[in-house]
Amino acid sequence: MISPVKIWRRQKVIRASLGKKGVIVSWTKIYTPPKEFKKSAPYYVVLVKFFTGGLMVGQLVDFLAEDEVQIGKPVIAVLRKTRDLDQDGVIAYGLKFKLI
Amino acid sequence: MVEIIGYHTTRFGEWWEESLFSLINQTYTGILKQTQLDKKQIDAVFFSNMLAGVLENNLHLTAKLAELLGNNIPIFRIESACASGGVAFFLAFNYLKANPNKTVLVIGAEKMTDFSPEQTTTALISAASGEEQEAGLSFPGLYAMLAQVYLQKYQATEEDLAYVAYKNHYHGSLNDKAHFQKKVSLSNILNSAYIAYPLKVFDCAPISDGACALLLTNKKNTYQLPAVRVLASEVATDTISLTKRQRLDEIKATKIAAEKAFRAALLSRKDIQLAEVHDCFTIAEILALEDLGFWPKGQGGKKARELSTLIGRGEFVVNTSGGLKAGGHPVGATGIKQLGEIYLQLTHQAQKRQLKKISYGLAHNVGGSGGTAVVTILGV
Amino acid sequence: MVGIVDYGFYLPLYRIKIAEIASVWGKKSEDIQSNLNIQEKAVAGSDEDSLTMAYEAAVMAFSQNNLAKKIQAVLFGSETPAYAVNPTSTILAEFLGIEGNYFATDLQFACKAGTGGLITSFGLIESGRVDFVLTVAADKANSKPHDALEYTTGAGAVALVVGKDDLILQLIDYQTFSSDTPDFWRRDGMRYPSHSGRFTGKPGYFKHIKSATEQLLKKTHLTPSQFKAVVFHMPNGKFPQQIALSLGFVDRQITPSLVVPYLGNSYTASALMGLMAVLDTAKPNDLILLTSYGSGAGADSFVFKVTKNINLRLKKFFSWIKRKKYINYPSYLKFTASF
Repeated sequence: MISPVKIWRRQKVIRASLGKKGVIVSWTKIYTPPKEFKKSAPYYVVLVKFFTGGLMVGQLVDFLAEDEVQIGKPVIAVLRKTRDLDQDGVIAYGLKFKLI
Repeated sequence: MVEIIGYHTTRFGEWWEESLFSLINQTYTGILKQTQLDKKQIDAVFFSNMLAGVLENNLHLTAKLAELLGNNIPIFRIESACASGGVAFFLAFNYLKANPNKTVLVIGAEKMTDFSPEQTTTALISAASGEEQEAGLSFPGLYAMLAQVYLQKYQATEEDLAYVAYKNHYHGSLNDKAHFQKKVSLSNILNSAYIAYPLKVFDCAPISDGACALLLTNKKNTYQLPAVRVLASEVATDTISLTKRQRLDEIKATKIAAEKAFRAALLSRKDIQLAEVHDCFTIAEILALEDLGFWPKGQGGKKARELSTLIGRGEFVVNTSGGLKAGGHPVGATGIKQLGEIYLQLTHQAQKRQLKKISYGLAHNVGGSGGTAVVTILGV
Repeated sequence: MVGIVDYGFYLPLYRIKIAEIASVWGKKSEDIQSNLNIQEKAVAGSDEDSLTMAYEAAVMAFSQNNLAKKIQAVLFGSETPAYAVNPTSTILAEFLGIEGNYFATDLQFACKAGTGGLITSFGLIESGRVDFVLTVAADKANSKPHDALEYTTGAGAVALVVGKDDLILQLIDYQTFSSDTPDFWRRDGMRYPSHSGRFTGKPGYFKHIKSATEQLLKKTHLTPSQFKAVVFHMPNGKFPQQIALSLGFVDRQITPSLVVPYLGNSYTASALMGLMAVLDTAKPNDLILLTSYGSGAGADSFVFKVTKNINLRLKKFFSWIKRKKYINYPSYLKFTASF
């Protein structure tokens, strides 16, 4: 259960990183997810170093083939739904990454 | 001078018939019986547990313990994710340094199997940052990312990691309190399913129930019990998020705590015969042995393959208890168990896994992905 | 003067072949493909929705200008908005950095909520009260497994920046035709829409598009042959061709905009997506006619004139949609959360 107020506070933080580019510094493929991510398993999570500095983690989406996921590949931060929350709760939008 | 004068543990594993508090009761009555102490002789209790709040909506555990113990002494609950046990011990140790003529109990306990693996995975990730949770990471996922960096940077392989699991399961087969007591072959390990690439089932510590307790005292010549001296106990912290760490190929908190502990104990690495290190995942043991200063940075893969820390091979053995891997990882109990194992070894009570020569032992307990580290050195 | 200043679009990466869906239900795929004139359709990922797609389209619309800061109204049209009650337009605005003194509203009118937004935008600009409007059409269309709609429901978004100067498409005129016609609907609380089968054809789609378009041609004194391209709402690959021919247009005018055979029907974004395709080869002074259709029912018809600015803001629709990944039916069910 995530408070809608918390989701609201996160928005400006998310907005600040949307569209930022960086490289993959590490990655993994999750086969046993926490319960709010069941529906998208298995999925890739990448650790990204932004060109402007700083690191961030997020799922990697929209790659054509699994062997494209490698340390060193460039990525961009995009807006997607993140957690699968209750049907009657606020939708959690957040950051994920796409290969560029 | 603070000494450990007693240790009791339940077996770690799946305890369907037992609740968190019945497990605590088991180890509490067990240690009193073993040491022949009366509960009136206990001056304070330090209790380590991570998940009772998240999983069972049970907090104020100290009052619950008071109900169990039936007295009105001070009781403290400590939570530092998987380092809860080590930190509880550190605080008990310092309490005794500050309060003369006391005997305290340190209890660690966890009940994890009442819930589905998914619910437990979700509860455990509370020890990671909000961003890491939002990215859908699990603890295997976090350590998997550390493993990827390590494997790439130092040209180590998944197979190197497997040797860690092989060794710890071998040790587990010698420990009647371990969760898993069967030896496992390298091919079993390498063929097991992925949990979070490149970590497989056998690279990950299991979900276990368990409870254990240590008796500590600063009283001199009071008890006729096998005693072990606490030579040092140090805690260090680091950022909760991997994204804020200085380096991704080490756990800095371990390095700092280890430096402080060896300096306080006036010992060097080669003085240690047994280390119980935090192998929540195989990669964690490799990082631990490098960060603690036993192995040179980057050599871990090679050294793991040599199996030099397997019992009977050399003068420095790691995780005779089976580690977290085979011993089991009831989170709040782990840090206590590590110290208990060293206590048993130093007092020659380790039975089938007894080391012939041992004067000093080191316990290494980590919280989360390295946000907390505790290093404790014990000696006879 | 009023018209479109810049534009953006988004199609998800994934595609499913009609043959794949047909094989699951034991249907003859060749028959379905030829009856509907559709071979594959776009599928949005399970973490995408009308808002995330609208965001991507809007980012493209602002990628070659600084107009995000000048937007004074945000209109969001969809039949699959993020919430039943809660504006998606403000969530979109927030992520685009549009804050405070702006007007926001969500619109729904089946597949023509987007062009309804366009008409509203023109009104806001022509009133003189507003200089720039962002209007977005986005849908992650859903359909019941085994229903006929399963072969055509797609996903996508189109974002248009509407203004009065520096246009790429000048509005010449528009005409709307509305009625109460129950050809396709979804009751509150129901997960999937319902429809009255073939009733959506003549009394629905054809009647409304014909009425609006013919009235617009009359008003503007234009004849079909004067148009470079014509775009119609695309519920399948047959209807647009049929209505085009019956209105007096020829194949080469309709073919460039016919994206449904390989993208499916993105509902509110459908006709506008056809416009996106046409812009790739639009030349200054070309006349483009676009008529959308929304069930329930209504049609919005527009005549646009392409300006010389088109070459400066081209987004290359056809090269963008080339990047795609085919999925199978179980993945399709996962992505559309049909369980």
